[in-house]
Amino acid sequence: MTVKILLADDHPLTRSGIAEFVKREETFELVAEAEDGAKAWELIQELKPDVALLDIRMPGIDGVTVAQKVKNEGLNTAIVMLTSYDAQQYVIASLRAGARGFVLKTVSPKELTTAINTVAKGGLYLDPEVASVMGEQDFIPEQLSVREREVLLLAAKGLSSKEVARRLFISERTVQTHLASIYDKLGSRNKTEALLLALKYGVVTLEELLEDD
Amino acid sequence: MRPRSHFLAFLLCALMLPSIAVVLVAVVGMASQESAMEAAVSSYVQDLAESMSYHLSSDADIWTFQILSDFSRFPFFSWGPSIPGWVALISQEGKVIASSPGAMNIAAIWKPDFEVGKAVKVEDRQGAQYTIAVYPVKRPSGGYVVTAVSWSQLLGGLVGVVRIWPALIVMIALSSFFAIRLLWSRLVIPLQSLVSEIDNMTLGKDVPDMIEEGAVKEIKSVQSALSRYAQAAVDRDDLRNRYVRDIVQAQERERMDMAREIHDGPLQDVTALLQQIHMTLEDDDVNDNARIRKTESIAKSVVRELRALCDELAPPWMDLGFSEALTELTERLSQAYDVQVSADFDDDIRVIDIENEKILSLLRIIQEAVSNAVRHGGADEVHISVSRNDDDVLTLEISDNGSGFDSGHINHETLRVEGHRGLASMTERMSLMGGTLRIDSKIGEGTTITASFKL
Repeated sequence: MTVKILLADDHPLTRSGIAEFVKREETFELVAEAEDGAKAWELIQELKPDVALLDIRMPGIDGVTVAQKVKNEGLNTAIVMLTSYDAQQYVIASLRAGARGFVLKTVSPKELTTAINTVAKGGLYLDPEVASVMGEQDFIPEQLSVREREVLLLAAKGLSSKEVARRLFISERTVQTHLASIYDKLGSRNKTEALLLALKYGVVTLEELLEDD
Repeated sequence: MRPRSHFLAFLLCALMLPSIAVVLVAVVGMASQESAMEAAVSSYVQDLAESMSYHLSSDADIWTFQILSDFSRFPFFSWGPSIPGWVALISQEGKVIASSPGAMNIAAIWKPDFEVGKAVKVEDRQGAQYTIAVYPVKRPSGGYVVTAVSWSQLLGGLVGVVRIWPALIVMIALSSFFAIRLLWSRLVIPLQSLVSEIDNMTLGKDVPDMIEEGAVKEIKSVQSALSRYAQAAVDRDDLRNRYVRDIVQAQERERMDMAREIHDGPLQDVTALLQQIHMTLEDDDVNDNARIRKTESIAKSVVRELRALCDELAPPWMDLGFSEALTELTERLSQAYDVQVSADFDDDIRVIDIENEKILSLLRIIQEAVSNAVRHGGADEVHISVSRNDDDVLTLEISDNGSGFDSGHINHETLRVEGHRGLASMTERMSLMGGTLRIDSKIGEGTTITASFKL
């Protein structure tokens, strides 16, 4: 079964590079290319591709906004963000907007193929460069306790330690102890990375993260 | 302060001493005039009494008869108005034997205990002054000569002058009191407040307040000249600050532009190059794989360097919004310095809308503060808290557990001159946003930097 793909990037050179990656795979079909966000949104509505590869920074409407529109309209297109930015907050913002994949433009063809296939099947793909455990290839995270999962999910929503403590009726110090333990178990260095790794390893699901309070 | 108060004391003394001297001299003058007048009147009355008593004693018989018949006929008693005073001859028993015209007035001021042979000063009910002398007549029948004179009759205007003296003294005292008071309120006080204005004025920062209305014209002109001078200094400082701010702003814009150029140009180009290398590597007919692998890794590191350069110039992720950018920055700083950098903000901060330029300024302040805390203060924990009050003032507080320093005499202008450009530019960035920056630090107690501005 072929995967119908749309590619949106305002930079012609990188766009043609990614287009070549896609075209090399027999199971992929590049249905359209767009050079800005508005065009991408138009083509997604028209062609209903299985996967849309969206650059974050584009003239007019940015990629995150397009992803949000796709999510709001309930379209079946899976979004993979394709960007030059390695900021973890971009990953969080993209996931909140409904994207299920986040890859850097420096991705290898093999990784991009994996990413497209993963999201096309409803999975989640994060570029190892933005969510990786330093120096460990086959890392298996330790199980988080129920309380730790709660703390991580609340912290992931952007709540401060004080606020998390208030909601769980525990002290701020306890929240910090939990966070330290979470970082340790996941091999992360901070809150955002902990969340990304937790998503990557399936410790928490994207749905749980996107759940409203 | 010292020399000035000495001068004021001197000025006041110079004004007060002559007044006090005049009052003292006036008091002495009044007293001596009074006693001189008394002496003159007494001697006059005594002379008159003595000479009368002498005449009456020497020519007893004739005088007795004639006196008895008609005292007033005698030319001796008819001095009339030319010689002031009254004369009366009274018998041993106190009967008036003879008297000059008007001598009856003596009765009104008579007191029974007059000492014979002495002049005595008396006053009638109206306060008019008189001097009376009683002398014995040496003749067989005895008796006394009583002489009296009214001061106003004898001395005329002089008595009035004596009366005026106290009023004059009071007037002098009062007028010098008012003069000094006036001098104090119109000159000394305004002068003092002017001096303290000058003392407390920071040139280039404030313009002195208007001093009291009562000040003399000259002080007012000095004050308005000072105001103009201070205003000129303020204007000059404003202009200079504007230049500095313009430079900071221009620099920031240039950096943002540069970051964008790099991101949209070389970064994309090298990325495209890398993509081509990826594809070349996947082609089966490539002979020299090792060389291409090396080229790939160089291209990858160029991408990383360019990305880092963009972040350094103007992080693109600040587009995400304040709280996301703050989280990203604290996590990056925490990693870069290997210290704990935490950020705390309330829910309403997450939805806050701040322009990119301001976000960038805040990020730079945090970067600078954390860098200072770690590099100079040796801190291993930095905490950032952001709050917003009811007046829409956003406050960013960055505190560390470093060694701290003496922030008592911090002035960002001197900091800049001394080469501490980091702290100086933090302050400039805040003032560019119409906000303020405060640095509180004590040796051994860490540092807290508080930046606030109106949203």
